[in-house]
Amino acid sequence: MELLEFARGPALTFAITVFIAGIFFRIASLVFMWRSKDSSQGSRRERPVVIAALKEIARRMWPLSAYKERTLFTLINGYVFHIGLAIIVFLLLPHILFFQDLTGLYWGHLPNNVIYAVSIVTLISLIAALVMRMSNPAQRIISTFDDYFSWFVTFLPVLTGIIATTHLGARYETLLALHILSVALLLVYLPFGKLMHFFLVFVTRSQTGAHLNHRGAQL
Amino acid sequence: MHSNGAPCQTENITGMARSIVAEVARMLESLATDGTTSSIDLRSLPLTEADRQQLEELLGRGEVTAELEVSGRSSVWETAYAGAWWIRHRGAGDKISSEEIAVCPVPGILVTHAADIEAAALRIKQEILENHPSQAEATNG
Amino acid sequence: MADNTLQNNKANQTLGEMLAERGVSRRSFLKFASYTASIMALPATAATAIADGLAKARRQSVIWLSFQECTGCTESITRASSPSIEDLIFDFISLDYHHTLQNASGHAAEAAREQAMEENKGEYLVVVDGSIPLANPGYSTIAGISNRQMFEDTVAHAKAIIAVGSCATFGGIPAANPNPTGAVAVSELTDKPVINISGCPPIPEAMTGTIAYLLSFADIPELDHLGRPKAFFGEAIHDRCYRRPFYEKGMFAKSFDDEGARQGWCLYEVGCKGPVTYNACATLKWNGGVSFPIQSGHGCLGCSEPGFWDLGGFYKPLSTAKDDALKYAAGAAVAGAAIGAASAVAVRSKRDKVMKAAAAAAATPAEETK
Repeated sequence: MELLEFARGPALTFAITVFIAGIFFRIASLVFMWRSKDSSQGSRRERPVVIAALKEIARRMWPLSAYKERTLFTLINGYVFHIGLAIIVFLLLPHILFFQDLTGLYWGHLPNNVIYAVSIVTLISLIAALVMRMSNPAQRIISTFDDYFSWFVTFLPVLTGIIATTHLGARYETLLALHILSVALLLVYLPFGKLMHFFLVFVTRSQTGAHLNHRGAQL
Repeated sequence: MHSNGAPCQTENITGMARSIVAEVARMLESLATDGTTSSIDLRSLPLTEADRQQLEELLGRGEVTAELEVSGRSSVWETAYAGAWWIRHRGAGDKISSEEIAVCPVPGILVTHAADIEAAALRIKQEILENHPSQAEATNG
Repeated sequence: MADNTLQNNKANQTLGEMLAERGVSRRSFLKFASYTASIMALPATAATAIADGLAKARRQSVIWLSFQECTGCTESITRASSPSIEDLIFDFISLDYHHTLQNASGHAAEAAREQAMEENKGEYLVVVDGSIPLANPGYSTIAGISNRQMFEDTVAHAKAIIAVGSCATFGGIPAANPNPTGAVAVSELTDKPVINISGCPPIPEAMTGTIAYLLSFADIPELDHLGRPKAFFGEAIHDRCYRRPFYEKGMFAKSFDDEGARQGWCLYEVGCKGPVTYNACATLKWNGGVSFPIQSGHGCLGCSEPGFWDLGGFYKPLSTAKDDALKYAAGAAVAGAAIGAASAVAVRSKRDKVMKAAAAAAATPAEETK
């Protein structure tokens, strides 16, 4: 019970504080970052920047046919765990109550049994992602600490969440505390590694789209 | 406890009754073969009110029924399957305090304890013979 | 019995002999034993052993000490009901001191305690309800004796200690933040083993069942990591709750008067602490099995768990942050943005300097070659 009190109390407050500070740090440093001035006239084929950005966001949802064979599994697997994580995080009632407590917002939820099933699929999908990364020699070479640690802090809350809901191994309050602590770890790390794509994925795609558009690429 | 289940506990039959009957069958078999007595505490099982009724109906009533006044009421009856006894103890407010199915020739609660017999032997003399000797003599005369 | 003199014959009577004189038959022992075995989840066959153990036991001297408490625990154990099998426990014990229940008062009351301690040295049972203040001995005294002093004196020659209620077991409300009296649990003041029967109040059967177990087996029942008998505190309320299926199905009452509440759905969302609370409420229930809080439509408060007052609010769902987790959010956002902006500006100015220097160098290539 003391561990749960610590997790729900100081640990969570600390993690959320660091998380918010980190997000604002990253965004501010991006906003104020030095940018090279593009003085070029731009292509004749250039379209409105918003359309270019949206098209790039959409285009990157699916690979070019040339790469499709090679990347199809990675791609589908990626979708599986991303959608799975979204369902788990945003549609499990205890999680919604957590968000409601912080933000006042409330929305519909799925039955717990459905979430259990989704979380098992997500867990397997995450393991598959790691196996893919480690078994592909080229990918292994380019993988950094950030890649592995990001995987770890994402995987851990899913694992501890499943264990907590199934009451495996220890008492529920201990398992719940470990789950909350694993989420705290995720929150603390999220702004400072590649997991920041949670906030930036569409920003970076828009930027790429705008850039390519200016150069006259057909998106 | 049993008589006060919440609404949703009382409605459905879960199939527990049949599993208990299967257990009673095994217990009767072992009582028949090597005389092993055993019992099932019904209160510790997740029975719904409907399950309990079903179990009572399945086992039925046999030849013996006993009503006891032992610190409150108790009912003991042999089910339709000889050797399988239903023991229902009631406590405060006549609510069921414990309930079990005992598989044995005679439930322990029906057998008079040696200490009680000893006490009764003394008491009968004290209360009837020694306190009212004249009456005893009168009847003899 | 054979070697007893006539004088101490009475004192050394077994419970079986003593109660036989009052017309209580061995059947009553057996019935009580069946009941005890059932509530303690012992095998039904253990009833005979319990009945024999009780019949052979001597009447147990009990000294009940009440410290910083509300008498709710006593109310619970002496709950009003017709004389019945559940109350037979009061024939098995001799409650030699209990300053709320005893007739004697003042000096006579304290004399009763001292006499019981003297006559049953090493044999008496001490039951404590209420926490003990350490900040100042004057915060709580009985007959001019501080709680701590009385506790230490009394347990010195006790056979066993039972702490009843969440105050005696974990400090309870007196020890809740900010704990003005420096209240502590019983187990913090003694090296002797303490059986904790927590709850606010504890379920009466948990108290009487534990005492019956002690008497019949002359041994303490199996305890959990918080010193509580596993028979009563082995399972979470949530795991035995009849509303559990609604939790799994995602059907929740969202307030105390909505459709979900009327339909008897899960109370998780209105702050039920059942998942982290270990007690027998869902199985034994209260008032002789009539109901328990969740059945009556209110979430579990977690009253049998340490520090339950300070868990962040009775109506706050378990999955929410205990404190206001966003209390530093505004500051964090400003600080994060400021550091981010400052670092970006620093990088820019550094870059500008480098570029300027490079430009200057490019402008005067001759000098550089010198």
